[in-house]
Amino acid sequence: MSATREIISSGNELAAIAAVDAGCMFFAGYPLTPSSEVMHVISDLLPKKGGAAIQMEDEIAGVAAAIGAGMAGIRTLTATSGPGMSLKAENLGLAQMAEVPLVCVNVMRGGPSTGLPTRVAQGDIAQAKNPSHGDYKSITVCAGNLAECYTETVRAFNLADRFMQPVFVLLDETLGHMHAKAMLPTVEEVQAGIVPRKTFDGPAEEYQPYGVAQDEPAVLNPMFTGYRYHFTGLHHDAMGFPTEEIETCRKLIDRLFRKVEAYQDEIESNEEYMIEDADILLVGYGSASLAIKEAVDVLRAEGVKVGMFRPITIWPSPETRMHELGEKFDKVLVVELNQGQYLEEVQRSMGRLDINKLTKTNGRPFSPSDIIEKVKEL
Amino acid sequence: MSRVVMRFTGVGGQGVLLAGEIFAAAKIKAGGYGVKTATYTSQVRGGPTVVDIQLDDKEIFYPYATDGHVDFMLSVAEASYKLFKNGVKEGGTIVIEPNLVHPTEEDRKKWNIVEIPIITIAKEEVGNVITQSVVALAIANTYTQALDEQVLIDTMLSKVPAKVHEVNKKAYELGKKYALESMK
Repeated sequence: MSATREIISSGNELAAIAAVDAGCMFFAGYPLTPSSEVMHVISDLLPKKGGAAIQMEDEIAGVAAAIGAGMAGIRTLTATSGPGMSLKAENLGLAQMAEVPLVCVNVMRGGPSTGLPTRVAQGDIAQAKNPSHGDYKSITVCAGNLAECYTETVRAFNLADRFMQPVFVLLDETLGHMHAKAMLPTVEEVQAGIVPRKTFDGPAEEYQPYGVAQDEPAVLNPMFTGYRYHFTGLHHDAMGFPTEEIETCRKLIDRLFRKVEAYQDEIESNEEYMIEDADILLVGYGSASLAIKEAVDVLRAEGVKVGMFRPITIWPSPETRMHELGEKFDKVLVVELNQGQYLEEVQRSMGRLDINKLTKTNGRPFSPSDIIEKVKEL
Repeated sequence: MSRVVMRFTGVGGQGVLLAGEIFAAAKIKAGGYGVKTATYTSQVRGGPTVVDIQLDDKEIFYPYATDGHVDFMLSVAEASYKLFKNGVKEGGTIVIEPNLVHPTEEDRKKWNIVEIPIITIAKEEVGNVITQSVVALAIANTYTQALDEQVLIDTMLSKVPAKVHEVNKKAYELGKKYALESMK
């Protein structure tokens, strides 16, 4: 997408605006610091477009209502922070199992539990991979600057409809609340990029929503349009009816993985900053990458050749590219506002354990000088 | 322009956040980059709050002020003054509300400490305590000369309802007047 439209805003506001521009017509949720502005803004915008925003009794009801809207064929959003994700987890598993598209924005704050409500953290990285029990393949994108709070939310809606599952958009307190200029694509361009979810147009008696190829998502026609199917969180057959038939059960979970893995190139997105001639590789994402970029610029000015690799789609991880980078760079430093949740993924992808880490979990952001100091120690 | 770094500190509920947004927006309008971040606590009111504002012609990646790089700070609460003063570079200006903030003698040697009764001005001379953020805005710009005054005033007026334009213009003029007097 091009970047031609200048908006002065915060990350939370931009996520809400992006949802509406991407065709979202329904929001249900419960306000939770530091995500509340997503709800404030979209509650103002949606009624003007003929959509609806509902403050539910809690986060669980918020995602439940969002699933209902998703089943009705509507682009739908819910937003929260880590404690809300914990509450939504069970229903997010239902949406994975029944293949209902929706977008869930998580503006990360300090945890576990109520943690540090007004302070920044990146502690929900592992949670985003598997918020609920059971096996499925998460799609999680992570904004690294203000413009991406917009563009990644737009992309999340398109991915949700393409792969028929919840897509998580991770922001954090810093990005959600920082206020500055963002260069965005035009609304027309965003709208031109919308691909509606697939529907089945044949005779109703031949409709089998889950009877699809082994690497394809379900085809859920909107409810109340003359096509019937059974909706359940149990293992189910092509019509959605519960089953314990051995091969059907195996194929269902296998397909939930394959539908994502087979199209990873459509999902993967990374930024590589000053990597070409670098001697040291920094890996980071989200708001930590803002401090990393500034540190890279300062270190480069001092003659230290560093570069940054930033996964924007963090799940599924860019494992192939990280493997290549792991072979190229001797010195790798992962910088994240948790105790090393993505470090483990970097180690796995690179196939080595000698990865350095810089972590912080006191609710404060990294400053560029924290990173500069650590790089000089390597 | 080279980067200007400002810091407004107070306690939650005083409205210091808005002044930061106005500065950032005005710089962007004038051409360039402006970033505002706010850090606050989970107390609804009364917790120490800090707003960092960075203005530059070049792109700003890291949104917070780096300690030791703050050119100008304004503080209307003792607790947040103590917590955040060390971000100000040596010789930098700190404007304080003298009824609420009490710097040490050492502080006065290290920084250019200026006493302006911001809240009293807003409450008694402007007649509306909420305008303290605009009084603060005027003082900050008069000291830093960061932005063209008209662009800043226009941006400020675009962010407040029309019915309070006059009172906010008055708040700006008074803030500027007190700032100029304090420089004499």
